[in-house]
Order: sequence, then C-alpha cells, then structure tokens
Amino acid sequence: MYALRARNLRYAYQDKPVLDDVGFDIEPGRLVGIVGPNGSGKSTLLKLLARQLPLQGGEVEVAGQALGRYSMKALARVMAFLPQRPVMADGIRVEQLVQYGRHPHQGWFQQWSEEDARQVARARDAMGLAPFWQRSASSLSGGQAQRAWLAMILAQNTPLILLDEPTSALDIGHQAEVMEAVHRMTAEGRTVLIVIHDLGVAARYCDELIALADGRIQAIGPAREVMTKALVDRLYDTDVDILSAPGDGAPVIVPRRAATLSRPLEEDSTP
Amino acid sequence: MKTSLLQPAGTWRLTLGPARLLLHRRTWLMGLLMLAALVALVLAAATLGSGRMTAHEALLTLLGQGSRLQEIMVFRIRLPRIAAVIVAGLAMGIAGCMIQTLVRNRLATPDMVGVNEGASFAVIVFSLYLTVGSWPWWASPLGAVLSAAALFAFCRRPGEQGYLFIVVGIALGELFGALGDFAMSTQPLVHLGSIYLWTMGHFADASYQTLLPVSLALLALCVPMALLARPLALLRFGEATARNLGLEVPRLQFLALALAILVAALGTAIGGPVLFIAMAAPILASWLARDNLAPLWLSALCGAVLLLGSDTLVRVLAQPEEIPTGIMTRLLGGLLLLFLLLKDRRQTD
Repeated sequence: MYALRARNLRYAYQDKPVLDDVGFDIEPGRLVGIVGPNGSGKSTLLKLLARQLPLQGGEVEVAGQALGRYSMKALARVMAFLPQRPVMADGIRVEQLVQYGRHPHQGWFQQWSEEDARQVARARDAMGLAPFWQRSASSLSGGQAQRAWLAMILAQNTPLILLDEPTSALDIGHQAEVMEAVHRMTAEGRTVLIVIHDLGVAARYCDELIALADGRIQAIGPAREVMTKALVDRLYDTDVDILSAPGDGAPVIVPRRAATLSRPLEEDSTP
Repeated sequence: MKTSLLQPAGTWRLTLGPARLLLHRRTWLMGLLMLAALVALVLAAATLGSGRMTAHEALLTLLGQGSRLQEIMVFRIRLPRIAAVIVAGLAMGIAGCMIQTLVRNRLATPDMVGVNEGASFAVIVFSLYLTVGSWPWWASPLGAVLSAAALFAFCRRPGEQGYLFIVVGIALGELFGALGDFAMSTQPLVHLGSIYLWTMGHFADASYQTLLPVSLALLALCVPMALLARPLALLRFGEATARNLGLEVPRLQFLALALAILVAALGTAIGGPVLFIAMAAPILASWLARDNLAPLWLSALCGAVLLLGSDTLVRVLAQPEEIPTGIMTRLLGGLLLLFLLLKDRRQTD
C-alpha cells in the first residue's frame, strides 16, 4: 500500500492554471522532495495534498483511503502539515506549542493521557528542545522556532508528514540540523514529503525528487538520477555546473556567472 | 524527566470518572481572585448609595437579618441592579474574548464591529413603533444577528481578514447607529427618555423581568461555549495550523461567531450597549492568565468585575443624580483604546 497517491491533480487560481495533470505514488518510509522554480506550483501541490485547499480535479489517497473520506480530525492523526510561515500565537511557552500537536488525539473528556506525555517528551528530545522548554515560543530564534514547530508535528505522531520549505529561512548550520532531523523521521518509518528551494539540500537528503515546472511534473525518480544538468538548466532557465561533493558524492549545483555564459550579455545587465 | 512530563508545567490534572481534564493552574487561581473581587464589589455596591447603610448592615441584610427598610433597599432596589450588571458583564467579557480570539485582533469586539449598534437599532425600532408599552429586550439578539449576518456576508474569513472584518464592522456600526438615531428623531422628545438612557448603557431601571429570561438563555449557551473553548484557542495559530490539528475551520469560525454575537446581544439586552467592557475584559484576563490562549471564563469574570466596578463608581460619583453606566465605561475604555493603539504603534515603529 502506498503512503500517498495523487492522480490527475489539477488546480486553477482565478482561472489561471497552477497545476496540470500531476500524479505520483509514494512508498512508505521515503523522504521525497518537491523542487522547482518559483511559481511552479510546489506549495499549491502540498496544500492540496494536506487538504488545506479544496481539490478541484483529480484524486488523492492517503494510506489507501481517499482524502475526502477522512474527517479533519482523523486526517490529522495520519498526516501532519507544517506551512511555510506558521503563525505563532503570542504568549505561550515552547512546551505548550509542542503539546498542541497532541490535539487530534484528544477530546473534551480526554485532555491529557500518558501517551500524550510520552509523545511530547519524545518530540522534545528528538528536536533538542530541553534547554528552552519553558521559554516563550515567540522569543525563539529562527532555527529554534523551526525546531519547535517540527517538534509539534512530531508530537502529532503521524505516519505521513508534509513540510513546506522548512529550511528556507535558515542559515546552512540550521538547515543541516533541520534536514538531519527530517531524515531521522523517515528512519523511524515515517513518510516525509518536503518542498525544498535549495537543490543541493534536496539532492543530498531526499530519496526521491519530484521536479515541477509550470504546474507539471518534469521529472520524477531517485534524487541523483533526476538531478541532471539538462533538467536543472531547463527548470531554472539558466546554465549550471553539477559538481560532486567530496565525501558522499552528492550533486552540488553551481550556476555559472553571466560573463562565462556562451550567449552574449544583454543590454540591461550593465549597471 | 519522564515523570515530570506526565504533568505539563503550570497545570493540574483532574480525573473525574472517565474524564481526564487538564486545568490551566494560573487561570483557575486568577479566577478565584476575580471571584473574591466580585464578592467584595457586590458588598460595596449593596452598601453604597443614597440611603445610609454600613457594610456590616448590608451583610446582615443580605443574610436576612436587616430591618424592613433595609431589606427593601437591598433586595428591591440594589440587588436587581447588581445582578443585572454582573450578568451583562459576564456576557460581554466572554463574547469579547471569543471574537478577539476568532479574529486574532484585540480591537475586534462586539461593540467595535457594529453588533451593538445593530442590537440598539432593533430595540429602538421595536420599542418606538411596534411594542409600545413593554420592553422588547428580545429585539436585541435579532438586531445583533442581522448586523452580524451583514458583516459575515462582506467578510467570510474573519481569521485571515481581521482588518477587513473590523473596518467593515465599524462602517456597519455607523450605518445602524445612524438608522437608530433617525428612528429616535422621528419621535417627540418626551417619549425618548428611557430609550435614550438605554442606548447609553443604563442599569438603574434593571428588573428581574428582563434579567431572568436573559440569564436562562445565557446559561443554555454555556454548553456550546464550553465545547468550543479548546478548539477556539487553536485558531490563534492561524487557519493552516488549526486545520492541520484537525479543526473544521470555517464551521468552527461560523459557530463561534454566531455564539459570540448571541451572547453579546443578550448582554446588551439587559442594560443597553455598554462599550469597551468586551474589549478590556479579555485583555485583562489574558494578562492575568499569562499563557492561556483563550481564557473564556476568566474573561467573563473580568467583565463582571469591570462593569460592576464602573457601575458602582457611577452611582457614588453622581449621587443623587443618575449617570448612565456606559458613560463611565466609555471614559475608561477610551483611555484603554488610546493606550493600546499607541503601544502597538510603538512596537511596529
């Protein structure tokens, strides 16, 4: 059984097509990256899968069951979604933020269980939040806040996790930290679908990549096979070199400078 | 480490039969404090006023050991007013907290978004033209629902469009306010005395006749409010996170807004549209409870304390005249609003 399937997804925003005939199958336990240029429909795709936007055409199946057949609460127990810029409520402590991740498992008569306590403790330790556990959540730095949000998602304890650019606002140190944490999630058997801007990060950490441009899938498959010079040049309309990282040989994408391009400089590029 | 986590910091776990409840400790402690403040205020309000009486005598009278005159003064004159003020304050406090949480903006309260004006308009029209002689308290929720429906038609997503919600609400408030004034101006002045006082927020004529049905309706609405309290708090994280945590966001917003409007309108029905209690009470409650995202019940208590405080102050200051309570709350509330806006401006500068 697939963790997530999409068939013929279409989406238009105010008559402007955003996604066109997008479909894929994702096996359990994989870390799958969605890459593509700005405006290619990456975030829209993730929001459709997370039921943050209504489906206009096509089908989504989560763990073998159609998305529409889940209640919101039941869905929140099998799939967690972290938006690109989540809103932090003022005044709460980090501990409380992570505890709210347990909400889908609770009810009015079951506001706190031992399982809740276990999952919250696990999420705290997995994200290394103990040093600022009682700090105000809105006082955290960017990297700390992102870890706190990921801990909330982890406390939700879902087999499927969707993350929308969790590393885009972070420096490379925190980027690596977050990606290692995401990778550990899949090592526990969870399936993670992640929108990433940075191709190098995507190629290094993801098992598979889905490359989107103009709302269509341009390539899909194992990360190192998908990440070719031809594809990257076409996706981003630029000219790149792909190097191989010392150590693990992961692809490193380096755009060429304008001066070394074969095509002549355009007039508007003069200062 | 693990055992400390079984009990989240700052909470009490309560096991009631099959129910496992998690109580926010500081909210409950502050609730007790506010309850004590309210009791003290009730005693003060029963003591102070035109006929002379000491606090001791007032207490004895409340316990059934006063003279005939004292009993009339306390039970017939002061207590109905005190009870009316408390119920109105509770309703305004909780309604304000619900709308502020829903819209994620402290300025979004029933009196800022035109709901009070809608309620006043309906009461004015009914009392002047349709139900001459009896007091149409029930018109208040009708008018409030009417104006809220208009507001909702213009702004379908109050959580994401908080600014639009407030601005449209202010415009609607002006519109309904003007219509109400227009309706009043068609009548000879001598007929307008009591309705004018009511539109200013006035509790001197409060009676159990209005208070009883309003209180029963509010009591019934407490059940859905208790059910909505937990999910409502999650709306403070915005729609995306609320949805991720399993909430049916549009339905929750609609229910919470409808409930808040009804509660606010019932509160208004008692003594008229008293301004700013609905704004000040949740702010005070959030400040007291510190890290509680939607302290509904504490906010209700704060509303009662603030309104009874204002009403008692008005009675003492204006003696032997009567000043509408709403004038005092507007005075204090205007200062609060100014303070909030200037403080926000400093933060964004």
